[in-house]
Amino acid sequence: MNYSSAVFIVLIFPASLFGQQVLNELRAPTSPASGVLGLQPSTVLSPKSYQSLEAALYSNFLNSESKAAIPNDFALEFTPYWTKNHGLSLEQYLYPKNIGEQIKRNSSFSMASTQHFLLGDSTPSNGLALGYRTTFYFGNENDRKIVENYRSNLKSNQRIKNKIASEAEKLVSRPEIKNNLDFVDNMRNVVTNAFFELGNFNSLEDAKALTSEICKEAVTLPAFDKQKPDDFLDAFYNLIDTKINAENIFNKFESYIKERQGFSMDAAYACMVNFPTNSFEFSLVPKQSLWLTPTYRFKDTWSYLKLMGVIRYEWYNLDYYRKYFPKSVAFTNNTDYGLAISGEFKKFSIQFEAVGRSSKSEIPAGFDNEGNELFRKEHSTDFQYLGSFSYNLTEEIVLTYSLGNQFQRTENRNNTLVSLLNLNFGFGAPTKAGIDLKK
Amino acid sequence: MSKTYRYRDLLFPVADNTDVYFTVEFISDGNSGQTLINVPGSLDPEIENSGAAFIGKGKDLRGEPTICVSTIANLVPEEDEIRIRYKINGIQLVEHSNAKSEEKNPTIILFVNFTAL
Repeated sequence: MNYSSAVFIVLIFPASLFGQQVLNELRAPTSPASGVLGLQPSTVLSPKSYQSLEAALYSNFLNSESKAAIPNDFALEFTPYWTKNHGLSLEQYLYPKNIGEQIKRNSSFSMASTQHFLLGDSTPSNGLALGYRTTFYFGNENDRKIVENYRSNLKSNQRIKNKIASEAEKLVSRPEIKNNLDFVDNMRNVVTNAFFELGNFNSLEDAKALTSEICKEAVTLPAFDKQKPDDFLDAFYNLIDTKINAENIFNKFESYIKERQGFSMDAAYACMVNFPTNSFEFSLVPKQSLWLTPTYRFKDTWSYLKLMGVIRYEWYNLDYYRKYFPKSVAFTNNTDYGLAISGEFKKFSIQFEAVGRSSKSEIPAGFDNEGNELFRKEHSTDFQYLGSFSYNLTEEIVLTYSLGNQFQRTENRNNTLVSLLNLNFGFGAPTKAGIDLKK
Repeated sequence: MSKTYRYRDLLFPVADNTDVYFTVEFISDGNSGQTLINVPGSLDPEIENSGAAFIGKGKDLRGEPTICVSTIANLVPEEDEIRIRYKINGIQLVEHSNAKSEEKNPTIILFVNFTAL
């Protein structure tokens, strides 16, 4: 086994990462096309309509002379179902009727390309990949209880706010309301009743106590302006939201929906097309991959834990690898199987994964006396283990260190020791969940 | 800090003896919301998510504006907008829309004057 170590400090966004070694992922990649190509694009286009999909393809796959061209560092992900509105209620969204409905909603198609897919002799060539991915979620009783609890709290808060806002908007037009104190005095009973009748208060005294707290603070809000009462009213509504914990409940519910407790399964497929001569006339499919990733999120006190499995099957075109990667050791197929466990805490997360690989080939070995073709079977096994520690320096900056041993790569069998330090900056849309920290 | 969207001075002419139904229609996906229609008297009709409610006869709704308040939460990661249609007796009054990047948890307030036909 050959060892080398490397320390990278990289900017995931917005910089691109050509030439950087990519670790084999345990989970199905968010963009299977980018995954099979080994590409970490600087941006992933996600068109939300067929028109914008067409515009993205035309503008990227046609060069200045209106001829077809493979774009460099290009990635696109398209989810047809979400291109139009269906008026789904939250209930319908959370509990699809059947598996077919889940497939329809979660199917996404990805495409990625590069002009720098390096062949064995370091010649850059054009590479294009296409991928498909979907997710199945299998809800359970505990998930329903959690969702119902969030929905009940959300509904209660919404009803409280509606009651208070509908009275407050009427009140401000009355001539006797001239300042914060007048407003507060007239709203006191409305607020108390809304809390007691619609909220989760044990007694009227509890509702009155919270109302008093709100009224006290409302006096110090920006001054009520009879001509422009909206600024004051908005500040008052936000004060109510804060006191009934509305934002916190919303944020927790939103986070929960993204990572629901129970069992889910990601399925993905991708294939890569290479143009070794950089001509559209000649292309080969060197590699295809299929991922099945079952995931289980634990409940209650173990809710910070996630257990993942992987079954990944890869096909290789041996003729391609013999011709364009003569020094590589390729097999007809690889089967990966493994487990990972991760723990997510407030400021940091830890993950450990172990994956085994079984590689097989049938190589032509001449003919027998009767002219039947003979094959020689080759078999190899390999093992990958990796531990990662991520620490959230701020909401936008995540420091990750990974240590372990990865599979021998088809293109380069050296450098199996992994020692990677990543500093990931997220600007705007990208989140920790959306970036692959192992790249 | 959730954002409030106000639609003022909406007019809906209606005859005195006509029944008035208020409808909320969620167009975009994954909305969860409550709507309260503050009408004269102590019973204010409420609508959970999409639906319709009888809010009174035309003659009962004269005078001061009827205030309808919706508090909406959109928790669906795949959806990027909130779009809601408000109708009275099947006639569209307002179509509200806002990008979720602007507000995921908006409060929408309609001020409707029911004038005589």
